[in-house]
Amino acid sequence: MVQINLPENSKVKKGNYFKDKTGSKNLRKVNIYRWDPSTEENPRIDTYEVDMNNCPSKVLDILNKIKNELDPTIAYRRSCAHGVCGSCAMNMGGKNGLACTTPHADIDGDIDIYPLPHLKVKRDLIGDLDGLYRQYQSIEPWLKSNSKSETSEIIQSKEDRKKLDGAYECIMCACCSTSCPSYWWNGDKYLGPAVLLQAYRWIVDSRDEEREARLKKVADELKLYRCHTILNCTSACPKGLNPAKAIAEIKKMLATANL
Amino acid sequence: MENKEPLSPHIQIYRWHISSLVSISHRITGIVNIVAITLICLWASLLLLGESKYETIEFFLNSFLGKFIILGLTWSFLFQILSEIRHLIMDFGYGFELQTSKITGLIVIIGSIVLTITFYLIGKNFI
Repeated sequence: MVQINLPENSKVKKGNYFKDKTGSKNLRKVNIYRWDPSTEENPRIDTYEVDMNNCPSKVLDILNKIKNELDPTIAYRRSCAHGVCGSCAMNMGGKNGLACTTPHADIDGDIDIYPLPHLKVKRDLIGDLDGLYRQYQSIEPWLKSNSKSETSEIIQSKEDRKKLDGAYECIMCACCSTSCPSYWWNGDKYLGPAVLLQAYRWIVDSRDEEREARLKKVADELKLYRCHTILNCTSACPKGLNPAKAIAEIKKMLATANL
Repeated sequence: MENKEPLSPHIQIYRWHISSLVSISHRITGIVNIVAITLICLWASLLLLGESKYETIEFFLNSFLGKFIILGLTWSFLFQILSEIRHLIMDFGYGFELQTSKITGLIVIIGSIVLTITFYLIGKNFI
């Protein structure tokens, strides 16, 4: 159901202000969404003045700097810091992306950092992705080749392998799904761009023998057709993939297939 | 515990871009058009009530507010048509690249405004 306003317990309040202590002339204000599960309080926005003279180029560097030097209580996910693991997906300057690959120079004015949109917040910048992982599980993202021997190699032509380009690179960071308004309003039923891109990846895999069953499975009003080509997903993807096009391709296959 | 966790901000903070603007406008103009068609049907059926009623409507439509509504509806219909063509092309699997979708989105926005002005000018010259 479309709910434009945030629920009462999710309304964001003004938080603390951390003034710069270094005396640097090159400061930027960083506004960060905070929520502490151990209190009964609403989420708040804390503002930090960060000395940009001693800060590397990415948004994750700012967060690390804040955690190390200004406020150790701030919580966020991060691991590889090279755009491979997908842990540090968050909303920066109003757009989803990976903090480790987003340059803070690309953001004008104050730097606003929020968790991925429309998720239950676990703490600060950490959103609950359980629902998305359950949906990912529901499309059975593994190779199904019952008739073929499990000990010998399944040969794939170069052309067939090429079909997986643009789909297999997905790191499941959830930037796309949590940027999608359709997923915000119908996330309990609509699979969302991340999962549909993976559904597509297994549908077009020449080695997979369950193509028809997979197509039938996503051919559901809410599971697939809630995509209205808003393209927030494609513009959010930090790996430059195109989930919206993959969804369109599935729709095309369903329109032309004789299931 | 379950309900204590807040929902992270979504539409309040997410930045708009051409494609999302066209998409939401497509929905809004769609709803406006349905209402408009109902009103046009009502207008047509009011004709049955005779000349005096027709003149009242005529008077209203010639007022500033009436003209504003007519031009607004012209834009809303044109926007819907252009945006629908864009959707049709996308249904064929084309135009999903970010740059292309931005250009087609701009064509829809600017095109609908230009066509509305054209319609207005054509109307002016003929009446």
